[in-house]
Amino acid sequence: MHRASKITSRFLRRFWRGLREWSGDSAYERYLRSTSAKGGASGTLTAEEFYVERLNRHYSRPNRCC
Amino acid sequence: MKRLLTIVIWVAVALLGAGALSAIAFRRGEPLNAMWFVIAAVCSYAVAYRLYSAFVAARLLALDDTRATPSERRDDGRDFVPTNKWVLFGHHFAAIAGPGPLVGPTLAAQFGYLPGTLWLIAGAALAGCVQDFIILFCSIRRDGKSLGQMAREEISSRGGLIAQLAVLAIMIILLGVIALVIVNALKASPWATFTLLMTIVIALMLGVYLRFLRPGRVLEASLIGLALVLFVVVAGRWVGDSPSWSHVFTLSGVALAFALIIYGYIASTLPVWLLLAPRDYLIAFIKAGAFFILAAGILIVRPPVLMPPLTRFIDGTGPIFAGKIFPFCFITIACGAISGFHSLISSGTTPKMILRESHARFIGYGAMLLESFVGVMAMVAACSMTPGVYFAINSPASIVGGTPEAAAATISGWGFPLTAQTMTDLARLVGEKTLLNRAGGAPSLAVGMAQIFSSTIGGERLLSIWYHFAIMFEALFVLTVLDGGTRVGRFMVQEFGGRLWKPFARTGWLPGIFMSSAIVVGAWGFFLYQGVVDPLGGINSLWPLFGISNQLLAAVALVVATTILLKMGRTRWIWVTLVPTAWLITVTMTASYQKIFDSNPRIGFLSYAKALAAQIAAGEVPAAKIVETQRLIFNQRLDAGVTAVLAVMVIVLIVEAIVQWYSILSRRREPVLHESPYVATQWAPDFSGAAHGDD
Repeated sequence: MHRASKITSRFLRRFWRGLREWSGDSAYERYLRSTSAKGGASGTLTAEEFYVERLNRHYSRPNRCC
Repeated sequence: MKRLLTIVIWVAVALLGAGALSAIAFRRGEPLNAMWFVIAAVCSYAVAYRLYSAFVAARLLALDDTRATPSERRDDGRDFVPTNKWVLFGHHFAAIAGPGPLVGPTLAAQFGYLPGTLWLIAGAALAGCVQDFIILFCSIRRDGKSLGQMAREEISSRGGLIAQLAVLAIMIILLGVIALVIVNALKASPWATFTLLMTIVIALMLGVYLRFLRPGRVLEASLIGLALVLFVVVAGRWVGDSPSWSHVFTLSGVALAFALIIYGYIASTLPVWLLLAPRDYLIAFIKAGAFFILAAGILIVRPPVLMPPLTRFIDGTGPIFAGKIFPFCFITIACGAISGFHSLISSGTTPKMILRESHARFIGYGAMLLESFVGVMAMVAACSMTPGVYFAINSPASIVGGTPEAAAATISGWGFPLTAQTMTDLARLVGEKTLLNRAGGAPSLAVGMAQIFSSTIGGERLLSIWYHFAIMFEALFVLTVLDGGTRVGRFMVQEFGGRLWKPFARTGWLPGIFMSSAIVVGAWGFFLYQGVVDPLGGINSLWPLFGISNQLLAAVALVVATTILLKMGRTRWIWVTLVPTAWLITVTMTASYQKIFDSNPRIGFLSYAKALAAQIAAGEVPAAKIVETQRLIFNQRLDAGVTAVLAVMVIVLIVEAIVQWYSILSRRREPVLHESPYVATQWAPDFSGAAHGDD
């Protein structure tokens, strides 16, 4: 029983993490951990700056098929 | 022992798939259950993935997990982000799966269920998945370079330019055609028009929320948006039932076309955070939900497939689009079997995020198999409705007549029994004034989906809600391609324009933004308008044009892949890309030739123009209609010109590539590969791409 609940909670944690990553919800947290945020010459972006900059890049190339 | 068991299981899967395929191909008489389609598709995909993709991965590509991928070497937390393979699979699938795999199979159902289903399964396994997989691999080995850049480096600079021009041309045709699909779905439907308009308002609200109130909190904003969208789908009924509001939202085809053109222009010039991005967040969950409900509905309801395996229209006289089964079935279903547009995604974001080379098989090959399955489900949804109803919804008035009585008489005469009352009752049940003459595939797919959904939940009472949910889903889906595509097209036009006049290339320069957006919107708007006013229904001319251009791009991608593989010394296995390339070139060139020169005015652009000109010369066209007819003649000639230019461009690229192949095979020149140098990975073998430190 204990083992089953452990497996379930682990699965749900992973699912939640995957969902946040897939949807872009955790993109800023990931950026903060990346090397460019830590050592970038232009300084670390705020959440708002990062959000807008990320979207501008994403929508400047084919990102959706027919 | 374990190995023996594995072999036994796979032989059983293969036999089950072969049995289901035989049932689909040879069963006559009693309607076949949709489960046979699901079993045939899933078993074929499983065998193709287990055997063929493994063969391609090992022998042809020799995927190397000791090699650092671009996401490791250039990790910047923005473009290059190491991503878990399941998450990236979701990203990649969301990017490649557009309205194409839903609309194409629905239209191709006019030939019967058999040719389209077989092409969806075999085309995906042997061509579409191979293209996506190999282009993804090639891009990973080149730091995520685009198809155009790879064509320039590996074939020639002219090849690169041709590939870029082809992409722009295809995008414009694509946008015009899918906009026509929305127009035909929303025409004279206040409920659907209101719902779609409200989704734009909701997206704008979410845009402000995500930008200023809770930056980047995508999940919570998506959930709020989803609840609001479901509410407006239901609220649309009140608008449809209200005489005054219903009048406001009842728009003609031409009015809707202009509304979409204005929308496309505004959406592509607005900041992306305001409209495009939040609307994409909305559709991501709706899309996943709709695919899941459709699959679950088919499994639960197991509807009988009422369409015959082959219809009389394989002879080329189809009411939805004219042309024989070869080549037109194979260009009508592009996405779902093979889509050149996928190569742009496979050489876009995905290679920059992939964790290991071996994941390219699961993501490139696997995601395309899933898209093919979506196509099979769309085929099932279209073929599980009464064939007479299917033809009544999708055929233009010029062929079946504009009234239920006329349509019923014509379609019954083809051998598909239909009464006028059936169409009137169905329209009332789904909350529409009429379902006749809605060429484009979206309304008939929505009826098919709604019938499956309502058989699962709600029964006939909820049929109208499900229908409008399906229409909203399809229309929103198309809008994401329309405005996102217009924006990308704008960047391409700016890039080309910048070669002539430098300031034009500056993406932040407002006059450049306004001008390039106007060029792109004007170009696809032209195709849309010509489709809306075309008496043959628009889809007849434009969908094949889209299919031809998309498949031509696939031929370009496969030619690039073949060149790279030859340079890698994989001559022995080159048939893996060469055979699909040869097939696609044969299909697209035959279709291009027929669309330009065929003597049947419903097929050939030039003969249609000639027939119209003859009508004017003979005085058969009323004076008031002469200008309109002359415009139609111009449109047909233009379509012929566009088709010819695309075909010639691809022929030039192929000739350039063949010269390269000859010099490689005859050892006249040492092949030069433009791969990034090998760097060994520093990641542990069990690193799964979860954020560093929290796995």
